[in-house]
Amino acid sequence: MTRFEWSRKITIGHYIPIDSIIHRLDSSCKLLGFTVLIVAIAFCNSYFGNVLFFTFALFLFVLSRLPIRYGLSGIKPAIPFMVILAVLQLLFYGGGVTASGTVYIHYSFLLITSDSVRLVVVSAMRFVEIILVSSVLTLSTPETELMHGMERLLKPLKYIRFPVHQFSLIIMIAVRFVPTFAMEMEKLMKAQASRGAAFGTGRWWQIIRRTKDMFPLMIPLFRSAMARADDLVLAMECRCFVPGQSRTTYRRGKARSRDFSFLLIIIGFSLFALFYPFPG
Amino acid sequence: MGKGLTTRRMVVAGVLGAISILLGITRLGYIPVPTPAGNATIMHVPAVIGGIIEGPVVGLIIGLIFGVSSFLNASIPLFKDPLVSIVPRLFIGVVAFLVYIGLKRFNKYVAIGAAGFFGSLTNTVFVLAVAVARGYFTLPVALGVAIANGLPEAIVSVIVTLAVVAPWKKIGASRKKKSKIS
Repeated sequence: MTRFEWSRKITIGHYIPIDSIIHRLDSSCKLLGFTVLIVAIAFCNSYFGNVLFFTFALFLFVLSRLPIRYGLSGIKPAIPFMVILAVLQLLFYGGGVTASGTVYIHYSFLLITSDSVRLVVVSAMRFVEIILVSSVLTLSTPETELMHGMERLLKPLKYIRFPVHQFSLIIMIAVRFVPTFAMEMEKLMKAQASRGAAFGTGRWWQIIRRTKDMFPLMIPLFRSAMARADDLVLAMECRCFVPGQSRTTYRRGKARSRDFSFLLIIIGFSLFALFYPFPG
Repeated sequence: MGKGLTTRRMVVAGVLGAISILLGITRLGYIPVPTPAGNATIMHVPAVIGGIIEGPVVGLIIGLIFGVSSFLNASIPLFKDPLVSIVPRLFIGVVAFLVYIGLKRFNKYVAIGAAGFFGSLTNTVFVLAVAVARGYFTLPVALGVAIANGLPEAIVSVIVTLAVVAPWKKIGASRKKKSKIS
């Protein structure tokens, strides 16, 4: 049964109220800083740069005083997929796209080069780093704060008639509902399993079987999602929600020098790890 | 279809976007297929469904959420390029909407199925076209991927879209007469 427990393992979207430097940062600066960091991680291709980013992600966890177990548990459910993916990449990638780098093994269609090894290692590390960093962000910031931060960041776009508030609300609804649906999915899996469905027993080469396994999950999930959407619409309209109306906020965030220095440190670090010519 | 973002459209876009993110981070949305493109995905299905139910704007926003989350989760350099991972995904919901509107007059079920099929095809074709244009793939490789990944994706997409949208459209019609609170 433990393999169905998605909601406990998905760390995106749970706020943990503790008092720490990261928690106290202004939300718009924090959001911008973490966005820069994530984009930098996504573009980093060197081993050394990735090690730096990984250390930095762990450092952020320490700084925010969040239990590191929480961040690492987000990675656990992805491990089998990552292993399968890594093997497939290692075996089939080398010949497919870029046949460069030192060749290690070349046997008919099998081609393993230093580039394909690098691809496998770096993509696994990148995945872990992005999970860690985005966990720190969502664990240390309440959702409403995040939304206000995003709204303030996007405010300049209002001049080209971009619906800033609606857009940030949509994103927030999406982020807010991820853990809810994870819980829903867990319930569905247990319900189907108790009726004799065998999830996760298909081996990776049984592609058709694994695809078929998905239907009894996907379809009820979509249906219950739409029902929830209906309830939420009703609740919002009962409270007289009008999209696009200007509204005031109870608390006004204000960026101070501390927030800007945090931002500068993150940008500086990202640029360094991205562009410094490391050996190897 | 009225213009702009109503409350309903915002909520549906958010909720379906959440499913897209969830499928990405639990990796349940991937079907590992041994091709250079890594794996087939069903994460575009929310965009198709959103496009059919609530129109092109919602489809576009869900496509954007899907694109950004696949960009962030990318495990191969192909999808680390925002031009490949984000831009083509914007069109999924829009195409699905257009196909559905165009075919609705003849047969609703066929229209929904076709929207699911072409929405999925949009994803496959546009992503691969950009990938070829940016020099990640050669043309024959791309064709192979289109068959190995695109076909199962399209089939799954048709089944899920039909199963979700067909009953929903009926429920929506009957609910308009009677409000939930009355």
